Amino acid sequence: MASATLLPILCLALLPAQSASPPVVFNRDVRPILSDACFACHGPDRARRKADLRLDVEAGGKKTITPGKPDKSELYRRITSTDVGDRMPPARHPIKLTAAQIDIVRRWIEQGGQWQKHWALLPPQRPALPSVQNTRWIRNPIDAFVLARLEREKLAPAAEADRVTLIRRVTLDLTGLPPTPAEVDAFLADKRPAAYEKLVDRLLASPRYGERMAIRWMNAARYADTNGYQSDGERVMWRWRDWVIDAYNANMPFDQFTIEQLAGDLLPGATLDQKIATGFNRNHRGNGEGGIIPEEFQVEYVVDRVETTATVWMGLTLGCARCHEHKYDPFSQKEFYQFFAYFNNIPEQGRALKYGNSPPTIPSPTRAQQRQLQELDAKLATARKNWQQQTSALARAQHTWESAPTAALVGQWHPGEGLLADWPLHGTLAPPAQFRDGVATFTADALGQVAVFDGKRYLDAGDVAGFGFYDKFTLSAWIRPEGTHGGTILSRMVDVPEGEGYALRLVQGKLQLHLVKRWLDDAIHVECEPTLQAGRWHQVVVSYDGSRFAQGIRFYLDGRPYKHKVLLDELNQSFATKEPLRLGAGGGVKQRFQGALADVRVYNRVLSADDALLLATPTPIGKIVTTAAAKRTLGEQAKLRAYFLAREAPETIRHAAQTVKDLESTRQHLVESFPTTMIMAEMAPPRQTFVLQRGVYDRPGEKVAPGTPAALPPLPNEGKNDRLRLARWLVAPEHPLTARVAVNRFWQMYFGHGLVRTVDDLGSQGEPPTHPELLDWLATEFVRLKWDMKALQKVIVTSATYRQSSRLTREMLLRDPDNRLLARGPRFRLSAEMVRDQALSASGLLVNHLGGPSVKPYQPAGIEKELGADPYVQDHGENLYRRSLYTFWKRTVAPPLMINFDAPGRESCMVRETRTNTPLQALNLLNDVTFVEAARVLAERVLRASKPSDDERLTLAFRRILTRKPRPAELRVLTAALEHHRQIYRADEKAALKLLHVGESARDRGLAPAEVAAYTSVIGVILNLDEALTKE
Amino acid sequence: MHPLLEHQLLTRRHWLSQSALGVAALSTLLAENDLHAEGGLPGLPHFKPRARRVIYLFQSGAPSQLDLFDYKPGLRERRGTELPDSIRRGQRLTGMTSRQESFPIAPSKYRFARHGQSGTWLSELLPHTARVVDDLCVIRSMYTEAINHDPAVTFFQTGSQLAGRPSIGAWLSYGLGSMNRDLPAFVALVSVGSGNPNDQPLYDRLWGSGFLPTRYQGVKFRSVGEPVLFLSNPPGQDHAVRRRMLDDLAQLNQMKLEESGDPEIATRLAQYELAYRMQSSVPALLDLSREPQRVVDRYGPDARKPGTFAFNCLLARRLAERGVRFVQLFHRGWDQHTNLPRQIVGQCRDTDQPSAALIEDLKQRGLLDDTLVVWGGEFGRTVYCQGKLTADDYGRDHHPRCFSIWLAGGGIQGGLVHGSTDDFSYNLVENGVHVHDLHATILHCLGIDHKRLTYKFQGRHYRLTDVHGEVVKPILAG
Repeated sequence: MASATLLPILCLALLPAQSASPPVVFNRDVRPILSDACFACHGPDRARRKADLRLDVEAGGKKTITPGKPDKSELYRRITSTDVGDRMPPARHPIKLTAAQIDIVRRWIEQGGQWQKHWALLPPQRPALPSVQNTRWIRNPIDAFVLARLEREKLAPAAEADRVTLIRRVTLDLTGLPPTPAEVDAFLADKRPAAYEKLVDRLLASPRYGERMAIRWMNAARYADTNGYQSDGERVMWRWRDWVIDAYNANMPFDQFTIEQLAGDLLPGATLDQKIATGFNRNHRGNGEGGIIPEEFQVEYVVDRVETTATVWMGLTLGCARCHEHKYDPFSQKEFYQFFAYFNNIPEQGRALKYGNSPPTIPSPTRAQQRQLQELDAKLATARKNWQQQTSALARAQHTWESAPTAALVGQWHPGEGLLADWPLHGTLAPPAQFRDGVATFTADALGQVAVFDGKRYLDAGDVAGFGFYDKFTLSAWIRPEGTHGGTILSRMVDVPEGEGYALRLVQGKLQLHLVKRWLDDAIHVECEPTLQAGRWHQVVVSYDGSRFAQGIRFYLDGRPYKHKVLLDELNQSFATKEPLRLGAGGGVKQRFQGALADVRVYNRVLSADDALLLATPTPIGKIVTTAAAKRTLGEQAKLRAYFLAREAPETIRHAAQTVKDLESTRQHLVESFPTTMIMAEMAPPRQTFVLQRGVYDRPGEKVAPGTPAALPPLPNEGKNDRLRLARWLVAPEHPLTARVAVNRFWQMYFGHGLVRTVDDLGSQGEPPTHPELLDWLATEFVRLKWDMKALQKVIVTSATYRQSSRLTREMLLRDPDNRLLARGPRFRLSAEMVRDQALSASGLLVNHLGGPSVKPYQPAGIEKELGADPYVQDHGENLYRRSLYTFWKRTVAPPLMINFDAPGRESCMVRETRTNTPLQALNLLNDVTFVEAARVLAERVLRASKPSDDERLTLAFRRILTRKPRPAELRVLTAALEHHRQIYRADEKAALKLLHVGESARDRGLAPAEVAAYTSVIGVILNLDEALTKE
Repeated sequence: MHPLLEHQLLTRRHWLSQSALGVAALSTLLAENDLHAEGGLPGLPHFKPRARRVIYLFQSGAPSQLDLFDYKPGLRERRGTELPDSIRRGQRLTGMTSRQESFPIAPSKYRFARHGQSGTWLSELLPHTARVVDDLCVIRSMYTEAINHDPAVTFFQTGSQLAGRPSIGAWLSYGLGSMNRDLPAFVALVSVGSGNPNDQPLYDRLWGSGFLPTRYQGVKFRSVGEPVLFLSNPPGQDHAVRRRMLDDLAQLNQMKLEESGDPEIATRLAQYELAYRMQSSVPALLDLSREPQRVVDRYGPDARKPGTFAFNCLLARRLAERGVRFVQLFHRGWDQHTNLPRQIVGQCRDTDQPSAALIEDLKQRGLLDDTLVVWGGEFGRTVYCQGKLTADDYGRDHHPRCFSIWLAGGGIQGGLVHGSTDDFSYNLVENGVHVHDLHATILHCLGIDHKRLTYKFQGRHYRLTDVHGEVVKPILAG
């Protein structure tokens, strides 16, 4: 095959500048070879080091070479030895040296065999601009570095791309969307020399810029809308995502962007936004699976933070030092755990909540909600003042009323708001309630008729009060226990021991509330402190606020609040069951209640302490009225006042009271509607950190304090040694990595690859930069620009390098297929979100609403059901057409379109961009409702346009997708296709109508179905063109 | 793919595209060579393989070894007694039972008997498996490190408890490539257990490509809707319309290729043609109408019902016949914390007959010789009862220290039992097989040295077996 003979040629082409630049540079040429082949046994890892030899530093390695004389160098002898026992790397080692690599080592020794410290650990030095011949090509310093290299290679840069290509390229790059035809026309008409620069300024100022940048950052930050393990319950982190968009749009400097995300909570007077920013390091997955060992996963969360932080800011694989010393880079295991210590001090639990945000969290009202709250608070203050002014009027009115009470008030009265059901048990029963395991038995008592429970019979109250773990409720009852047995007062619980459900129970004289999904590891179990007396009536109230925590429970006994002891506080799933509400039973036959019950009530709200006092006051209103004011109990006073206000007070007074109540309720609803964000916080006293032997959670070794690796610059001195100091250390100008890593990733975004191709590894095992001086110039420029991200990117996109045509000649395909030399512009497939967003934008379906909760666009039905995951409830209307960065991201069942087009899965940090080319992508683009609908809507759009001819309509559609106009040959193909499809659909209108019904957007009934269908099919072709999917 | 190879391929495509070949001829040529070239690293397999493909019947949720494979007759008289400390040895338990006050022994309710020439003990729940037991190698000494489902299944699938690494099928697809130009190299099939239909969910990462390029990920064939996502033309665009669209697309892309010179365009042309072929090859694969009734019957009454384990077993055979490298079934429902005696009956009804039928069917077609079949879950279950032990009910918690799986076919000795556990099936006694060892062994059967199938990511040469794994030589066929 011809291909076999090609290999040697390609090898030559790929080797770093072999012919043109003979000097061997250690960091560029030699270190990668030694690192990959030798460092595992002769590198930084002391424990694994063989023959006490390390080759990563000169002190260790120089004894193996005689400078200038490869043949007298042990290193060279061993890598060329023909003796299998002598040869390095040994036969069992997976890496073999090639002849070319051995040759590099030989030439390096010949040239003196100098070691260099690993380049990435030395601070970038601002290089002088190289001199070049073709100075006219230079637009800014980037070009000088690129051209100098090209001239060394005897290559010339490509011509500038035409303006249409250029506006498409830069608009996609800076906003993630294609330009509109109007934008293109405006740019083409702008003949000023600065037209392109103006265009860049306009794009950088667009709110779409922040969205475009944010999705890259979301991939790095492993942002998702679910927790990522097992059931993969939903979480709410979109306020953090919106913070990122806003930060980019406001052009927050990168140092501040860094500090706020890593340690915003520790800034003096931290604002809500600064705390939300710290969600960055809570975006990792959280395991809520039943039965996990919490300590094990708490360690994993911290490891994730360390690895993510190290990758995102330093391009280091620090995680390799978790179990042992790093094998390639100078980081010890102890240093890993010192770094770990900065992120180990969060008041978090290893067992995350299965559904929702795990603590620590913060209510995170949006700006609109914050405004609403302010307005409400102002109204509430006025209403309260108004109500207070009624105090004396109220007293007067009540006094007047008491002296002449109306006859109707002798009956009983209780707070009625939120009352779901009640069972007075005064001798009769309202259906469907009925006694089981015995007959109804009532007896007369101080409280009137009451129901008697004998430890066997119970009341089946049917399907009421089916509360779950997000529901607020209050249970209230009068009880008179008999003996010491106690038992279940009220429940919706499976009637077996340790059953699932909720129950209010008396156990050895103490009240307990059980909220149980699975006994022991998925339950809340609390016990109220005081002991109830047998044979005596007690009024008991217990409320639960739907928070899923034991701290959300309140007990009242005889109208007074009491504390409770937490026995279990690990509720993770709903305790709702299909069991009936039972009075006197639930949780097994041994739990049947013994004693009397009366006036049992269930509310679907959390009753206040005031309410509880009223419930514990049995005195009828008529009786209170006739009691002398001075002789009334506190409860009686409160009850009478509440009754009077509710029923008898003058309208103005009632209105004033009601207004306060309504506003309070509105305020509560508003506050409860606030999204929350998981944030970073510090614990006092701090959690201690130990080196974990072999990286295992239950094998602690030496205790360590927070610190940074010795191979990197020292920490600044000011302030405490906490995350804030760490963040400031990262963005200190002398840090060798942060700026390089950041600019390298920007470069990747524009050119498809970083200047260091291994954007996630600038360590010894990473690739050396293709343009080391350019990388350092950009890094120092970024710092000089005070970390201004927009300014830096403007430098890149206005360079002549960026503006080159991407056309690939045969010569360059052979010489530099990967475009390492940058002798042409970038050409590569759009990212997943751009593929979808472009289709939405071209069709006009795109809804440009910035931020907000994640949305659920089309997804093939049943994907999640098949896997046993929670159902995906697709949205409708506008939410189908939002930009893809807002698409709800379920980690275990990620959006198929995004995954098909190589989006990272968001399970862990990913900064490297990959692109594949698969048949599933073709199927996705051809058949997914998203794209078929976009084609149809664009078809309708061009048919409505005031263009009479097919040519003009097709040209318009073509321009909306590809930006440029079709060439005559292309237009001929398209018009022929249109005519073909038109004939088919005219003959088969049914098929046309079927096609037009794809997608939920209404079809334009004013247009002929066959026409729309024919256009839809042709536009489908345009949407699938390689050029449509490509930035070039 | 090796970067050099990739460039070589791209360049070759480019030259082809500049030649006088017509578009259609070009795309066919490219596609045929593509898959051969795209699949498979140079130098692989490392040695002569015994198996060319794998069918992995993954039993998600973790079947109880005590009720299926690991016969412990001594437990009957210990029923209800506490698990001795000398056995438990303070080893960690899941948070579901670690706070239990008592750990009563729960012997299996089910009878065991010896089967086949090999006399292998099997539970009465597996009458069909008993029929093929002489083809199986039962490993009674599997063990793992993870104690909960998500990390444990992820460990079995990727060699790491945490997300991010390639699944075993993705490794094989990367290393060995596909043997069929119209179908993916790695297919995943899922089914719901009738014993416990609301059991543990599955996750895309189980057949994901991790840090490998996404083209190596498993393609999940679905039982509802389209068998492969986005496989069907939209309503109103029939075959003819689609063909015309693809022809026009090819023509326009070809013009672009000539203008821009980017070989990626030629690849895209080929991918569209492959997609088109998949639109007919996949439905043909799923169409059982030409499958003889007696063959279907062998797989049991559910075999014609899409989405069942039986259907998927039959499909697995059809995929294997067509050269799909790695077929993995995931059957849910084995997580029997409570109601084990009732639920496990349903699970066995789902899986016993089809699993045995698959072995027999492969054997009759001569495919078993070079197809490796694996059956097993992510860990085992405890000998002690979770919750209350009653006269006819018990439950079992997760148990990673020892459990049973079986292997059959290409490269594996049949009629063998490997490894043993103590009288409580709680601790290993001999020949422990770690998950990494199983992976090393599977790769070995396919002719791969597990230490030499690597991918460099973030500076490290990653392997499926991390830095561990020993091939289990005693179970290999001579």
